[in-house]
Amino acid sequence: MFDRFDIFFVQQLINGFSVGLVYALVAIGFTLIFGVLNVVNFAHGEIYMIGAYAGLLAIVFLAPPWVALLLLVLAAGIVSGVALERAAFKPFRRFRDEASLKSKAMRESTLLSSLAVSIVVRESVEKIFGADMQAIPRAYADAMQEPISLGELAVASGQIAILAAAILMFAALQWILTRTDIGLSIRAVAANPLGAQYVGVNVDRTVIATFAIGSGMGAVAGILIGLYQGTIFPAMGFAPGVKAFVAMVMGGLNSIPGAVICAIVLGLAEAVATEFFGQGWADLVAYVFLVLTLVFFPTGLFGAGRERV
Amino acid sequence: MRTVLAPLAVFAVLFGALPAGLSAAGSGYLFRLADVTLIFCILALSMQLITGVAGLLTLGHAAFYGIGAYTAAILSTRVGLDAGLTIPASGLVSALFGVLIALPTMRLVSIYFAVATLGLGEMIYVTLLNWVSFTRGPLGIGDIPPLRPFGFDLSSPLGTYFLVAALAALALVVVHRLAHSYYGNALRALREDDQCAEAMGLPVVRLKIEVFAIATFLAGIAGALWAHTTGYVNPADFRFAESILILAMVVVGGLGSIPGAIVGAALLILLPEALRAIGEVRILAVGLIMFLCILFLPKGLFGEVAALDLVRRQFGAAWGGSPAVRPLGWR
Repeated sequence: MFDRFDIFFVQQLINGFSVGLVYALVAIGFTLIFGVLNVVNFAHGEIYMIGAYAGLLAIVFLAPPWVALLLLVLAAGIVSGVALERAAFKPFRRFRDEASLKSKAMRESTLLSSLAVSIVVRESVEKIFGADMQAIPRAYADAMQEPISLGELAVASGQIAILAAAILMFAALQWILTRTDIGLSIRAVAANPLGAQYVGVNVDRTVIATFAIGSGMGAVAGILIGLYQGTIFPAMGFAPGVKAFVAMVMGGLNSIPGAVICAIVLGLAEAVATEFFGQGWADLVAYVFLVLTLVFFPTGLFGAGRERV
Repeated sequence: MRTVLAPLAVFAVLFGALPAGLSAAGSGYLFRLADVTLIFCILALSMQLITGVAGLLTLGHAAFYGIGAYTAAILSTRVGLDAGLTIPASGLVSALFGVLIALPTMRLVSIYFAVATLGLGEMIYVTLLNWVSFTRGPLGIGDIPPLRPFGFDLSSPLGTYFLVAALAALALVVVHRLAHSYYGNALRALREDDQCAEAMGLPVVRLKIEVFAIATFLAGIAGALWAHTTGYVNPADFRFAESILILAMVVVGGLGSIPGAIVGAALLILLPEALRAIGEVRILAVGLIMFLCILFLPKGLFGEVAALDLVRRQFGAAWGGSPAVRPLGWR
């Protein structure tokens, strides 16, 4: 009796781990953009949602093979990320003088504009596709639900796919950031935009590249999770967006590994809370973590000291 | 002269022209619209006090509005209290929560404060949604009695309008007097630079908690009015989107400007309502108006501070750090 419960609990932890990976996938893109622009991109959850809808459209009209599907969604994410940058971020980078660049004015004034753009995008999608849940065609969704048993535990193939995607994306990101020219300039701009400009880095192009990479990852995360859960809806970006944001704050705002670890911790904690208090109350966990982190560790669990919080 | 004429004009419109016009039109829908607009005027005014005057960006204001609405709903349906008592009680309960939430969070500045209020607002929403035995969860609470404070029957559209208008006028006077006093100047000093204000001897944390308590009191009153005039409350009405709507009103009207809060509230309630013919586009219109406003009118319609300046300065303080301290890139 008792070890049955134990197995069940471990199963719950595995599910929580995969939920945490979902948050981590969203949090990677979020933190990447934050690292370069030092601004919260409120529209990241909408990119995630656009990825899911682009995937659904591709499945319905083209029924492509898996690799082509992921590439199409990646392309959709890149295009929408660049469009988002153009609409909500670029107009506020008109400040060119040293003082406003140093005060990071060009980056931080965009909080409200990205919020406004996210509202417009979500509502437009709702107008076009309706606010209801849309089911992903079974031919694709079922492939994510095949059980794989590991001893007494069972894992869905979708969970393995999400784990693989998370590892792949994290590795690809590290490769881009450390081994490519564009990654080098992204790191340069993240460290010091003015200095980067002085040594000839094209800041505009770097910011666009950051948005393309971060949004492409967000969109792929959206379709993977849409496939895994079987349904997508216009407001689907809000909850993972907020939780990825919580993970980013817990991780110390500009630490990508920190955000990933905190996202997984968050997923595990939610699974435990669901086990003991029920689904509805589990939503509270993220917010409790957020407030506790802000009050007791204002610089995040993995962050270095900042001047003042 | 202006100091007499402007309030006189506002009161003449609020208690003379507007109710006369509405009665002449005789439409319940228009009365309802006027009530909702005035309730949102109270909310926008209270947020103006926190965000515009004291410079604290809050993203969880709807939660206090919700606490007020649920207090009024529960007190009047379960305890059977009179509307004359539930309205002030809602304000007090909401202000109590405001102080409880402000105590730990007021030490945070800028974006950290904004994020903490977002988190706390969502916590209150989740609680309203899941504490089914107390709040009836997603079903909401219905059959809230209309306004009959102390035996006066104000449940007719005109009576309700007059009560809501009176309370909105009271909120306007309170916020106006607060913002244009030495107290308001102290709050503006916090907005401009709270470290400097502290160095000048202002009790910064205490001022922030006080202003938060006053604003959440007003939000609670607005919630009680919403509960009594609608007759039904549901957690979905007090979510993040509603906080953003109130923030948009303040940003569109102009941060720090009291007429701005009122015009912003009226614009963002009435314009989407006027667009209803095209379909349900309320939130879409709010987002678009907010976006265009940030892009082309950074100071809002009447603002004394550009929204961008506020955000920029606040974020500069929190995230800036000195280049020597700030580590390079990601860790």
